[in-house]
Amino acid sequence: MSSVRATQSVVAELVGIRKSFGDVEVLHGVDLTVRQGEHVVIFGPSGSGKSTLLRSMNLLEEPDEGSVKIHGVEYGPGLPGTKAPRGKTLELRRSVGMVFQQFNLFPHLTALHNISLPLRAVRKMSRADAEGRAIAALDAVGLAGWAAHFPSQLSGGQQQRVAIARALSIDPQVMLFDEPTSALDPELVGEVLAVMRKLAETGMTMVIVTHELNFAREIGDLNVFMEEGAIVERGGRDLFENCAHPRTRSFIGSVL
Amino acid sequence: MNKGISGVNFHWALIWENRDLFWHGLLVAISVSFFALVLSVLIGMVLALARLSRQPFSFMAAAYINVFRGIPALVSVIWVYFGWSLLLGHNFTVFQAGVIALTLLYSAFLSEIFRAAIVAIPKGQRESGLALGMTNFRIFRSIILPQALKIALPNVGSMFIGMVKDTSTFTVIGLTEVVRVTQNVNSVTFQPFVLYTAAAMIYVVVAFVLDFIFRTFERVLATPSTGKMARAITHNRQQRLTTLISQYKPSIVAQVASAGDSQDKPTLRG
Repeated sequence: MSSVRATQSVVAELVGIRKSFGDVEVLHGVDLTVRQGEHVVIFGPSGSGKSTLLRSMNLLEEPDEGSVKIHGVEYGPGLPGTKAPRGKTLELRRSVGMVFQQFNLFPHLTALHNISLPLRAVRKMSRADAEGRAIAALDAVGLAGWAAHFPSQLSGGQQQRVAIARALSIDPQVMLFDEPTSALDPELVGEVLAVMRKLAETGMTMVIVTHELNFAREIGDLNVFMEEGAIVERGGRDLFENCAHPRTRSFIGSVL
Repeated sequence: MNKGISGVNFHWALIWENRDLFWHGLLVAISVSFFALVLSVLIGMVLALARLSRQPFSFMAAAYINVFRGIPALVSVIWVYFGWSLLLGHNFTVFQAGVIALTLLYSAFLSEIFRAAIVAIPKGQRESGLALGMTNFRIFRSIILPQALKIALPNVGSMFIGMVKDTSTFTVIGLTEVVRVTQNVNSVTFQPFVLYTAAAMIYVVVAFVLDFIFRTFERVLATPSTGKMARAITHNRQQRLTTLISQYKPSIVAQVASAGDSQDKPTLRG
């Protein structure tokens, strides 16, 4: 495992996360620790619960059971038998940024206002400050010149870059990526990965659910293979070459 | 002067001679409908939210909607004008009764239009608002509502046209709208074919004009706005953004102007 794991402080800690949809339990008590500056990649077959696990980190999916701690503050329902005071969900979400598979830009707003709206609503910035900040955020992903364009006028790759800029603009402690390139045409995947790579270089703590295993091999400090609602195997950068579990090996073999 | 097969003379000039009366009737019809539209939009939105919220609010809204969608305008206005005055001991003017009668019916129709529009917004919109740390109220106000209104707008336009037509039944309580004017003129001139043709034409023209107005609204709300008139209306907004961008970094505007969609290089500058 990489040196980042041993030395850095814990940013996010998930313990015993359980989640059911109806009668089907999709997460069977999952543990995951994310350290400062670490890049965690979660991969696995469809329906393995990796997106649900990611979405439980900002409570878009409320776990039925388990502890969700960000910087030591409990936001989840907690483990059975424990009764810790819970932090406010709004505060959790304001410290965790998220990027979605379908971008989820607001189609009625320009690229600029997609970013300035949450800044005004969440950070209570004035219009002028929020718009200035939004242009700088767009510039960071190479899209300042597209600020006045609506999402429908942007390519998928550009939309996803705006979405990344939007999530970053609220100064999150952790960035969550839920299959950020899965909805993109193959030729547009590269520009989004390039932005994510640059972001990783700045030392941002990132948790990424993806099928881009080559990208994972490149930036993943901690790589986690999930199947059927549980973590089968986890490892550092060498996981893709030296995995112990036969299921991990066969999945990596089928994708790479 | 034309003659029909019955040998009756058609005095088409009557329309022009009574233009002031028709114009007044039209204004009354439009004003009643307009006030009722504003009230119906507000009440309809509240009903739609109640319908989408928990019990017992959802049930109460559904009950209201199903009852009032079924009542004809004629019955509604008689009930309000003659019935409510007995119940409340207060006499509404014919104008007020007309507005209330239309509002009772059309708030029910509009609430279903709004509910369908709200439900049509993809759930990812709300989720990204939540993920950004926005409150439910702010998400509704700034993300869901503007998109839902845009979806609902063409149907709201149709409802407004329907309201103007429904004012024709308010002649029974003595509101001097278009049909009442037509009846009055006819009672002294005995030219029903000419006068009711005029009335029909008035309603058709109103429908065309309202359709045009609502279509312009739609174009203004389109992203980006389409059509000359809509673009003229949104011009200042776009201009402000362009200025903002050029002030941030003058080179960027030139860069976009010269670059194709796919040629810009992704960078994440520190």
